Amino acid sequence: MSKAWLIARREFVSNITKGSFLFAAFGVPLVVIALLFLVFFVIAQSEDDTERIGAVGYVDQSGIFSDAVDVPEDFVAYESAETARAALDESEIGAYFVVPENYLAVGNIDTVSRTSLPEALRDQFDAFLISNLGRDLQPEQIERLIEPINNTVLTLDNGRRLQSDALLGLLFTPFIFVFVFLLGSQTTSSYLMSGIVEEKSSRVMEILVTTVTPFQLLFGKIIGLGALGLVQLLAWIGAGAIVLSLGQGIPALQGVTIPLDLIVIGLLYFLLGYFLLASIFAGVGAVSSSEQESRQLAGIFSLGFSVPFFFITQFLTDPDGPLVTFLSLFPFTSPVTIMMRMGFGAIPTEQLILSIIILLVTTLIVVWASARIFRWALLLYGKRPSFGQIIGALRRSPVMATTPNESAGR
Amino acid sequence: MATAIQVDHISKSYGSFQAVRDLTFEVYSGEIFAMLGPNGAGKSTTIRMILDILKPDSGIIRVLGGKIDESIKNRIGYLPEERGLYRSVPVVDVMTYLGTLKGLSSNEARKRSLAYLDKLELGEFAKKKVSDLSKGMQQKVQFAVTVLHDPELIIIDEPFSGLDPVNTLIVEGLIKEFRAKGGAVVMSTHQMYQVEYLADRLVMINRGQQALYGQVDEVRNRYALPAVIVEGEGNWAALPGIERVETETDGRGTLLFLKANTQADDILEMIAKRDDFHVRRFELAVPRLNDIFIQVVEQGRLGA
Repeated sequence: MSKAWLIARREFVSNITKGSFLFAAFGVPLVVIALLFLVFFVIAQSEDDTERIGAVGYVDQSGIFSDAVDVPEDFVAYESAETARAALDESEIGAYFVVPENYLAVGNIDTVSRTSLPEALRDQFDAFLISNLGRDLQPEQIERLIEPINNTVLTLDNGRRLQSDALLGLLFTPFIFVFVFLLGSQTTSSYLMSGIVEEKSSRVMEILVTTVTPFQLLFGKIIGLGALGLVQLLAWIGAGAIVLSLGQGIPALQGVTIPLDLIVIGLLYFLLGYFLLASIFAGVGAVSSSEQESRQLAGIFSLGFSVPFFFITQFLTDPDGPLVTFLSLFPFTSPVTIMMRMGFGAIPTEQLILSIIILLVTTLIVVWASARIFRWALLLYGKRPSFGQIIGALRRSPVMATTPNESAGR
Repeated sequence: MATAIQVDHISKSYGSFQAVRDLTFEVYSGEIFAMLGPNGAGKSTTIRMILDILKPDSGIIRVLGGKIDESIKNRIGYLPEERGLYRSVPVVDVMTYLGTLKGLSSNEARKRSLAYLDKLELGEFAKKKVSDLSKGMQQKVQFAVTVLHDPELIIIDEPFSGLDPVNTLIVEGLIKEFRAKGGAVVMSTHQMYQVEYLADRLVMINRGQQALYGQVDEVRNRYALPAVIVEGEGNWAALPGIERVETETDGRGTLLFLKANTQADDILEMIAKRDDFHVRRFELAVPRLNDIFIQVVEQGRLGA
């Protein structure tokens, strides 16, 4: 197998220096980190917005705020909407709330402001309102009215604990994983495919097949490019770790860690999914007559991998329903489905095991079939063989096909 | 001489089309063996079967003493008819990579590649991309790849196509050098004059079958006419022993067909004695390989 190793090394070395790979592996995480800091900056900015608004007026026509308690700093009471409006026009205040006479009955409050109202100011006014509505209650009760549930999510499968603020992170991590999986396996598989198409069209294949066996060639390519995909995955995990350690100031990322089980199962699905996709792409590359054609064919299979995204609502509303179960077991959709579901909640262990077994068996069959097609089609040039011919090649003993009319002695 | 290739009664069909039928020949070490035949005769199919890309339907092929396997593949060099090199990669890197696939260490492959590039007057192009080279240069690089790993057998398909006369001479030199070291050369070509002065033996395949096989000179003599070719002045038809007179196909000489009991020597003697004849050229009418080729193909067509 030393020749397969040589091929693997060449595929790895010659592709790792490609601009498109460097961008996908390192550029995109950098962009994501940069975006995250931008978000961080915007959040910090909006905290400042309460200060930007300055003093806030309120007009009480309901009597709730007579002898108001817990008045926040910068809150100023006005006799009427007119005086408050005048103060706003004079820029003494940045905004004012009008609590109408029938507030208790209908719950309407008018807000007037020059600019959009920061969320933090709304929360501040909410708390002020609750404090005054419930001024007969104990301070703890007020506290609970303001923040009724301090949520800790405990997912069933793995006992991960997260504060409710971090729920987004829980869903987000698998999404990133899925994204990296799709991006990583697609990039490397398409390198694999275009490499084969190039070797066929430049006729390097003629020399390769007289030097190595088709299986060594296929195996070497898959291993070399798989290593490339792993580099990309590791780059992303590294970037994720950086984001999480730097991003603790952002509520959505607080307490989020990349859980080990997600990494282990993720890696397993990544590898199996990659082998599946790569061997399909290799077979497609071998039967295609041009790069363009191979891309069209391969696109169909790639689409299959991302199908679970279309059913994302089902994952939330009916995670144990037949559709989600099917997507979890069907080998072309299971890598993405399982990784997404890991974020949403428990996956029954037996379903997980079954899914892995189905994926493993399918991958083995596809690798075998692809190796056969690969061997058969390596020296076919020009016209793409028909589907029937490909099936025929799978059933017959493995021999190579050639195009007699073009290649026959000149 | 050791037998480098033994092709023993092989046949191959693609569906209902029989590409090769019952073909037998041998190639020896230290010789240049030409494989001739019209387009579609089955030459490439035969080469591919020798290289184990295709399996014969029946018959046996032995290469370098055994059934072909990985270690034997490392002792073969192949120059395909349709040249193949990675296009956007530096020349020396392509050569090194293909050399390591043939079992050389990376250092050794690189060292030899650079040495060959110098020898082929391409030293300055080592770091250039293959696509920056002219067709003739790529051709020479491809040839260097074929012999880089010191194979014992090379199979070269149209080795001179696209080469100018100077580069043709360089590649010819390399092929002869390879033969002198005891290597076996299988050369498939349509350049008949090159076969005449380069090749030791030949096989001609027509419609998948062996049409001619043997020493090049012997095959030519086999087709020799009972005639001599002369250039000069004189009334040739008046000479005794001459059956009839024809103009040579290229129009320069005259073909004198001899009567059954007359030898070429007798004619030469007669001419020398007579003053009314002047001769600038006198040779046996050994046909050009080209004419034999055409004749064989024509006969095959009529026979079918």
